[in-house]
Amino acid sequence: MFDFLGIPPQALFGQLLLGLINGSFYALLSLGLAVIFGMLNIINFTHGAQYMMGAFGAYFLLQYLGIGYWWALLIAPIVVAITGIVIERTMLRWLYKLDHLYGLLLTFGLALVIQGMFRHQYGTSGIPYPIPDALQGGHRLTFMFLPNYRAWVIVFSVAVCLATWILIERTRLGSYLRAATENPALVRSFGINVPRMITLTYGAGVGLAALAGVLAAPIYQVNPLMGADLIVVVFAVVVIGGMGSILGSIITGFALGVIEGLTKVFYPEASNTVIFVIMALVLLIKPSGLFGRAASQTSAVEHGGASAAGDGGRSALLFLGVLALFFIISPFFIYPLFLMKAMCFALFACAVNLLVGYSGLLSFGHAMFLGSSAYVSAHAAKVWGFSPELAILTGTGASVVLGIITGALTIRRQGIYFAMTTLAFAQMIYFFALQAPFTGGEDGIQGVPRGFLFGLFDLHNQVTMYCFVFAIVFGTLLMMYRIIHSPFGEILKAIRENEPRAISLGYRTERYKLMAFVLSATIAGLAGATKAIVFQLASLTDVHWSMSGEAVLMTLVGGLGTVFGPVIGAFIIIAMQNYLAQFGQWVTVIQGFIFIVCVLAFRRGIMGEIANKIGKPL
Amino acid sequence: MAEAALSRALQATVAGDALLRIKGLQAWYGESHILHGVDFDIRPGEVMTLLGRNGAGKTSTLKSIMGLIPRRTGSISFQGRELISLAPERIARQGIAFCPEERGIFASLTVRENLTLPPAVAPGGLELDEIFELFPNLKERLSSNQGTKLSGGEQQMLAIARILRTGAKLLLLDEQAEGLAPVIIQQSARTIRSLKERGFTILLVEQNFRFASTVADRYYVMEHGRIIHGFANAELEANMGKLHEYLGV
Ligand SMILES: Nc1ncnc2c1ncn2[C@@H]1O[C@H](COP(=O)(O)OP(=O)(O)OP(=O)(O)O)[C@@H](O)[C@H]1O
Ligand SMILES: [Mg+2]
Repeated sequence: MFDFLGIPPQALFGQLLLGLINGSFYALLSLGLAVIFGMLNIINFTHGAQYMMGAFGAYFLLQYLGIGYWWALLIAPIVVAITGIVIERTMLRWLYKLDHLYGLLLTFGLALVIQGMFRHQYGTSGIPYPIPDALQGGHRLTFMFLPNYRAWVIVFSVAVCLATWILIERTRLGSYLRAATENPALVRSFGINVPRMITLTYGAGVGLAALAGVLAAPIYQVNPLMGADLIVVVFAVVVIGGMGSILGSIITGFALGVIEGLTKVFYPEASNTVIFVIMALVLLIKPSGLFGRAASQTSAVEHGGASAAGDGGRSALLFLGVLALFFIISPFFIYPLFLMKAMCFALFACAVNLLVGYSGLLSFGHAMFLGSSAYVSAHAAKVWGFSPELAILTGTGASVVLGIITGALTIRRQGIYFAMTTLAFAQMIYFFALQAPFTGGEDGIQGVPRGFLFGLFDLHNQVTMYCFVFAIVFGTLLMMYRIIHSPFGEILKAIRENEPRAISLGYRTERYKLMAFVLSATIAGLAGATKAIVFQLASLTDVHWSMSGEAVLMTLVGGLGTVFGPVIGAFIIIAMQNYLAQFGQWVTVIQGFIFIVCVLAFRRGIMGEIANKIGKPL
Repeated sequence: MAEAALSRALQATVAGDALLRIKGLQAWYGESHILHGVDFDIRPGEVMTLLGRNGAGKTSTLKSIMGLIPRRTGSISFQGRELISLAPERIARQGIAFCPEERGIFASLTVRENLTLPPAVAPGGLELDEIFELFPNLKERLSSNQGTKLSGGEQQMLAIARILRTGAKLLLLDEQAEGLAPVIIQQSARTIRSLKERGFTILLVEQNFRFASTVADRYYVMEHGRIIHGFANAELEANMGKLHEYLGV
């Protein structure tokens, strides 16, 4: 046979097939997300977990009830849809009037809870699920061997996508859905029960995810984390396709699957990241996505501070003093390594918070700064033999560069879109860290020397190390306070409160937002670099999206938008992780649970509640 | 005593007459108190017009009737049935339909889909043919792809036309004449008169007093979330002075 650019056709078509399979899952999942987003205005982070639940549903049916694939294809999605309906009725319902971000946060927490529970029960090794008898075997085509099951997955996914599209675009029920997406109140006034439609829509969207899960079971095995990373890719697909369009999400899903497959043939190293690169390009060229309409950009995160963005006057400074005092005294009572960890994460969370408090942008990808800076400083200290302060500077410098690049791309979007794009970029960095030669892959960079500070002070001495970390963290927090109260901080606040007005006053708001973003990236990087030296380790955990999620959680618990609330949040979360470590996966479950509680009942966070009580911004 | 009993008896007969009877209606948008005790009634088959300055609470009254303002107290009874605690979709199913000021034509629906969107809530709605008799223009534009590509006047016709199909007996129409050319306004007035002939009861909110006077049987004037005055069309001349004062026209 002919080779194509030196690639044997078997390989080409093999990967093309694989790409179509992946594309089927991307399409089904992003379709579900689009359907849910249209009606509920919620980005359903639980989608990946619900996909996994579909696969497990099929497995349970077979294992415990002896019900095979074909029935599972029907029953599992319905059951998962019912759990979705319960979720909508009991939780999501309360969020519709709030900023879209809360929906993202709540469903993120739910995903943690669900995935944590399944992991607790089933570990991380996959459980095989058999291909149904009718679809065993395959056909030998001219170029390749086509397994029947894979052909079935593609054909069936296309059929489901088309059926969904027809249902929405061409039927009476679909016209209700479209109308309710535009103006739910008016549609209700026609006698149509929109709240029930919303509930059922969530159920249907979740059902689609579960259906994809059943389809995936025989191909990828059944695994508690099968949806965890997939969902981030699907977010990128959604950003590329643009939210508002059903057909757009279907086409984008399949197309990106194929592109990914082809990349595996021609440039395998990039196959994990190609979708994210495309996302970056699309953001540059057409920020609203290929098929997206210019989305209405809302952003009104409920702030912890008593008024809008709490600029935290004197009281915040006083609070910082109390915190400093605490961290000076506590090493006499509490394990210093734990305190240093808490301080590093406090800085990290404050970085996320600075951005959300002063630009209204909630980043879901700050782990990329923490992690990449940790890697670079660990590498500098270990391989290049840099002194610790230089290693930290180098690491922080790396995250400044990364901040400029990703910031320039992401600040073009707001609200949930910003959250999704930062998340996707962070995932790209994660894959990069997984593959790059100097990061040590799964092991990370271990045994990083702490070295001698300025060539003089031995940081292997715990007291010296502690003082150094204390100086870095509290010095930076103080600097943050100064910046907030500088003219630059005032302008940011003006932009945050009324961007059009700030623009009309002649401020180039994009530039200020970028500066805020880079500043935040820098601080996150500093936290990561310091952490790498303290713990003598840089690993994949630091760049994983769950780390970004933790930072958001710390911020949320401490008080979104309060100046130093995240320090408290970080302390609580780190303490919890420490003391609950023996319970394994329950930590994740509890964290998810805290997320849910915070979003539903405690949106101001600890410091926000206090600020509200005493009537002063903190 | 006897007098009180008599007045109660009178009220009862009036209540019996009224299709819609509103008593002590209060409503809030979040914390802001908008309606402060609205009282009025509408008899079957009449065209009732609600007048008032900008911000008086006319639209809010319609929305409260329709259930679109969640926080409301007082009494709204329709054909003897209390609506105050019902959700909008339940209220609609009692036979009330609402045409908002901004028309609310859906961009993602075709003209035909827009027209056929509201489901029937009661028997006796107009057939499509009858609707096209009333609005000949709509028939020509039926194949148009996007509802919002219609002209302002066409959108207004479409917005009324779609609620005529449902069988609703009481139509709540908000500022129909707003932003339309005089010819179209005259056409609107004809439409409303012919709807009245077909037995619809209509609650009309209007700023355009001249337009209102060509169709209304009775008037109520609102100010600061209350009804401050009411009179029949026959008493219009006598009330002109007061009206000018209330409406500042
Ligand atoms: N969604 C809302 N949220 C808060 N306040 C509102 C809202 N809608 C209306 N209002 C306020 O309620 C009051 C009454 O408004 P309403 O729309 O009922 O007036 P209206 O009589 O219809 O005026 P117009 O003739 O201008 O249409 C106004 O003061 C208005 O500012
Ligand atoms: Mg009005």
